[in-house]
Parts: sequence; structure tokens; C-alpha cells
Amino acid sequence: MTELAVQITDVGKRFMRNAERRNSIKERIVRGRARRADDFWAVRNVSLDIPRGSVYGLIGHNGSGKSTLLKMIGGIYRPTEGTITSDGRIASLIELGAGFHPEMTGRENIGLNGSILGLPRKEIAAVTDEIIEFSGLREFIDDPVKHYSSGMYVRLGFAVAVHMKPDVLLVDEVLAVGDEEFQRKCFDHLYSLRKAGKTIIVVSHGLGQLEALCDEVAWLERGTLLEVGEPTDVVASYLKRVNAEESARSPLPTALRPQDHEGGVRSALRVTSVQIADLEGRPINHAETGTTFAIRVGIAATEQVLGPNVRIALQHETGPLVTMIGNHRLGFDLGYVEGEHVVEVDVIDNPLLPGRYRVHVDVFDHTGSKLLDSWNDAAEFPVRSASGEIGQGFVQLAAEYRLR
Amino acid sequence: MVARPWGRTRVLTALKRQHALIWAFANRDFATRYRSSVLGWSWSLVQPLAILLIYAAVFSIVFRVKAPPMGNGETSYAAFLFTGMVTWNLFSSLLTLSMTQLKSNGELLKKVQFPAWTPVLGASLVQLIQVLLELLVLVVMFLFLGNVGFTWLLAIPILVGTALFAQGVGLVLSIMNARFGDVMYIVAVVLGALYFLTPVLYPMSLVESQSEALAWIIKLNPMSWYVQAMHDVMYGLTAPSVIELGALVVGGFLVFWAGFAIFNRYSEDIGELL
Repeated sequence: MTELAVQITDVGKRFMRNAERRNSIKERIVRGRARRADDFWAVRNVSLDIPRGSVYGLIGHNGSGKSTLLKMIGGIYRPTEGTITSDGRIASLIELGAGFHPEMTGRENIGLNGSILGLPRKEIAAVTDEIIEFSGLREFIDDPVKHYSSGMYVRLGFAVAVHMKPDVLLVDEVLAVGDEEFQRKCFDHLYSLRKAGKTIIVVSHGLGQLEALCDEVAWLERGTLLEVGEPTDVVASYLKRVNAEESARSPLPTALRPQDHEGGVRSALRVTSVQIADLEGRPINHAETGTTFAIRVGIAATEQVLGPNVRIALQHETGPLVTMIGNHRLGFDLGYVEGEHVVEVDVIDNPLLPGRYRVHVDVFDHTGSKLLDSWNDAAEFPVRSASGEIGQGFVQLAAEYRLR
Repeated sequence: MVARPWGRTRVLTALKRQHALIWAFANRDFATRYRSSVLGWSWSLVQPLAILLIYAAVFSIVFRVKAPPMGNGETSYAAFLFTGMVTWNLFSSLLTLSMTQLKSNGELLKKVQFPAWTPVLGASLVQLIQVLLELLVLVVMFLFLGNVGFTWLLAIPILVGTALFAQGVGLVLSIMNARFGDVMYIVAVVLGALYFLTPVLYPMSLVESQSEALAWIIKLNPMSWYVQAMHDVMYGLTAPSVIELGALVVGGFLVFWAGFAIFNRYSEDIGELL
């Protein structure tokens, strides 16, 4: 069995609701002690075994209790019930530079912050130079930090925190620090800490980042654990839930074309609506990379039209036309069309990468030469990632690799 | 596996273990106290001396308060007043400063786990420098007046007792103030009243000749004991009894110890209170 760095057993944290806090003596006297009904559990029944030397990720919506849990591990909050045991020094990156005093110089602040984080004076002196080097602020280290830019401030904070030789490092949404170069430096440092057998617990909304960094991920929802396991699996089911919830809450409205629209072509067939839907025909508010979805085009023909070609062009928000599809080229014959219909176009295993896409619709007659109707900018829809991976470019080709 | 150290701590062990952190906070407060003002530390003397001057003028000229004779037989109301003021300032400044420390270090306490009393004691250490400066002025004043004696040495235990007493009360008030924001306003009023119920501006003999009841109330105020003891050893050059002296020191230590214990008992959830 691997050794545990942090063991969380049946932990719960109850808070009083903010509005009901007895912050003044008058309130306390007038309204008495808080009633139990005002309490709520920010975290409840959480048990986690975090092995030493692992990178552990916590994901969940805002207010799901991730940060509360992290603060309990860091000893800032006391669990209302259950126990948290930990082995070794815990340093937290919960708020970078929280201990900095604006009037003091960077160097003085390193000393102060080191003391607050519990490092003996001698050891602070030993790592001060390393910290300055890491932060890349040697030039400014003897200036008061009130003159620092916010970027410099967090860089110094990060440098201090990671050099405190923690056995367990708590990181809360601070990986997006500084410029590209410094971020890479931070990641390299986190990796080297892990290699040195340190434990890192990360709270982040950067799911791709978490997938790349973590050995294990726990998903918290309303203060309870929903899933613990392989980062890829947990992130995937988390995203599935998030995307489904968002779609259900606010489906994209069906794009309806006004009767007396300008432009277009006078003909027997008119495009009336465009809608994004899932396979069951329910409207959704975004498509997912890799998941089949449908573009539903409403048409109305005042007289019989033979085999129209409904062409859909997808344009990326940045301008480029990504693709154009039409039923003729794909070998679908719609036959005779009269009256109102919906042309359902299933985009199989959606190859579009995350981004926003505009939909243009053209309808040609069966010869493919006569334009029956045209609707530019009919609709716009976002594509979201199902894995946390954003990807490069516009499409993800279905490809297979092999080594021969 | 080591459980997180939420448990209660013993005073001396705790002080010893955290001395580096207390020192770090003291350094911070020392370094930043007057950094943005031109005259720096001299300000810490300007204010008490200005008040001394005003009070000395008002009370000796307008109210014609007579000070008792000094050890050398002469009288000086200003010296009498300043002796009391130094003692009172030690008490009230430690108390007020301690009271606000948890709030002013709130951002830190909400984010990092460390003993919450360390910034309180750190701030008090820096305040002691101010007290020493005032004491220095007092000594110079007495040297100038030719009122010198070995009883001065007894001022050290008395002031130590005063500081411990103030710090004990200050620790309790700081945690109360973190819980209830009204505390600091109430304390300001109470301190204002207490100042006049302490024989700083007037000698005890004056009250005793006017109102027996009032004299009793004043004698119940612990700060009167410390101030009177200081009057004895610095101004009157007489030594209080060993029992009296011992009571002041031991009393101060007990209050500090109790204050520390209460603080630790109620500061466990400080991260949430602030």
C-alpha cells in the first residue's frame, strides 16, 4: 500500500449563512443564537486518500466545496465533522503573496512570508537567492512591492511558496500566473516537486491542465464526492454533466426567418428556420467535439420542388470557411418536396474543434445550378470540448496511426 | 501521521516555538511603521510630549492641581503627570493596538495557517520601543530635576507587570473584536473613562480629601495600582512592599496567561470569523 500524504475521513464543514451571521453584539442580543436552519453544509461526507508523491486534482462547479476542502486541508478551516490527517509541512498557494506588505521590499517580504509559512530563519536565508532567481525579479528585489505590477507580485508569491520545501502543496486556481514563459517555469517546477516525492493538490477549472498534470481527480458537487479516479474519466463525465446542464438550461433559440425578409431569391422554396439539436431532436445550445449533433433546417415549398440540394456552409468565427456540405454531393436525394419540412442533417462524430461557428444555408434545385433560396448568417453556435482538450485548428480528422 | 495542530498550546512552549514568527511580524511593523513619514520615529515622541505640555499647563494653571513632593523634597506637576502618562500609555497603547491586530492581519489569517496571536505580540513588541523612548525622556526629566534614586530599578518589574496585564486583556479584546466589530468602539469609550479613574492627572491624596466613595472606585481600578507604584518608585523614590510589588508582577503574568488561554480557545476558527 502506498503511503498517504493526506487522509480525509468523512469530513463535513458547516457554515452559517452569511446574511445570518451575528456580527455585532446588538444582533446577537436581539436575535439570539443562530438557528440550525440557517446552516448549510459546504462539504459533507467526503473521504479521500491522497497518496504521497501524487498530483491530485479537485474539480467541480463554483461553490461545490473545492476551496473549502482545500482550506480544511491547509488548516485554515476546522472540519465540523470527520478528520483530516496529514503528514509533513503543508504550504498553500491559495493566494499568492497574501503575506506581502506593500511598504516592504521584495527581499524583506521573502523573509516575512517564509516565517509565516513556517520555515526556520536559516533555511529562509538559504533559499532567498533561489527565490529571487526563480521569480526573475533580481533588479527590483530591493524596491517596495507596492511598486510591483500585479504580475511581478504573483511571480514573487509563487516563487516563495514553492521554495518553502512543502511536503504537501495546495494550489488553488493560481496556475495562470504571469506570462507564457513563467507559466512554463511554474509547471516545470511542479513536475520537479512531484518527482521529488512531494504531494500536490490542485483546484482548477483548467480541465485540460488538470488532465495533463494529475494522477487522480476527484469531482465535488454540492459538497459531496461524485466521482474519483483517472483524470480522463472523471473530467469526461464532469464535462458531460456540465454541458448537458447548460444545454438544458438555455438551448439556443431556433433561428426563425422573418416572412418579409430582405434578400434571398424569389422562388417556390423558402428556408424558414435553422436549429441545433441533439440526436433526439431536442434543441441544444452547443455542440461537442466528437459527438454527433444535428442541424435542423426548416423549409417551406409553396409548390412541388424536385430533389433540392440543401447546402450548409460552416464558417469559423475568425473568418475562414471551414466546410460546406450538401445532400447532392453526399448522395442523399430528398425526392419531391412540398409544404413545410425539416431537413435534418446529422453531423456524425462532430469533427469541429471548440469555437463558434456560423451557419449559412443555400438551396439549389435538382440540377444544382439554379438558386432557390439563400440565407446568410442564419445561425451561430458554439462547439465545446468534451475532454477539456481545446486542440489546434478547426477540425479534428478521424485518423488512425500505426507503426510499421 | 500527525494530526493538525488545532489543540491548545502551553504558553511558554508556544512562545518559544513561535519566537521567529513573532519577531518577523515585529520586524515588519517596525520597518513599516513610519516608513512613509519624513520625521519617522521622532513622531512617536512629539505626540506624548505635546499632550504632556497641554495637560501640564491646563491642570497646573487652570485647575491648580498640586503634585505631592518628589523624593528630593521639591514638587513638579509635569514630572508627576508624565510618570503616570508613560505607565498609562503603555497600558492603553498595547491594548488598543492588540485589539485591532486580528482585523488588520485578516487577509493573511484567512489564507495561511499560523498562530493568530503572533502578529498581536509582534505589534506589541514594536510598541514597547515607543514606551522605552518615553521612559528615556522621563529619566532625562528626573535627572534634570535632580530626583534620582535606586528605587528606579523597581520600575522594571512594575512596567513588565503593566505590559503583561495589558497584553492579556488585549488578547481577549482582539478575539472579541474579530467576532463583534463593536468591541473597539466600546473599548475606546471605556478607556477614556478609565483614564480619569486612574491617578494620572491628579494625586490620590486629592481625591481622598474630596470624596471617599470616588477614592474607593479609583482604588478598585487595577491600572491605579500600577500607576501609583510607578509614582512611588520614580517620583517619590519610595519602594512599595515586596508583597505589593510581587502582586503587580504575578497579577500581570496571570492576566497574560489567562488572556492567552482564552485567545487560543476562541481563535480556532479565526479564518472564518474575519
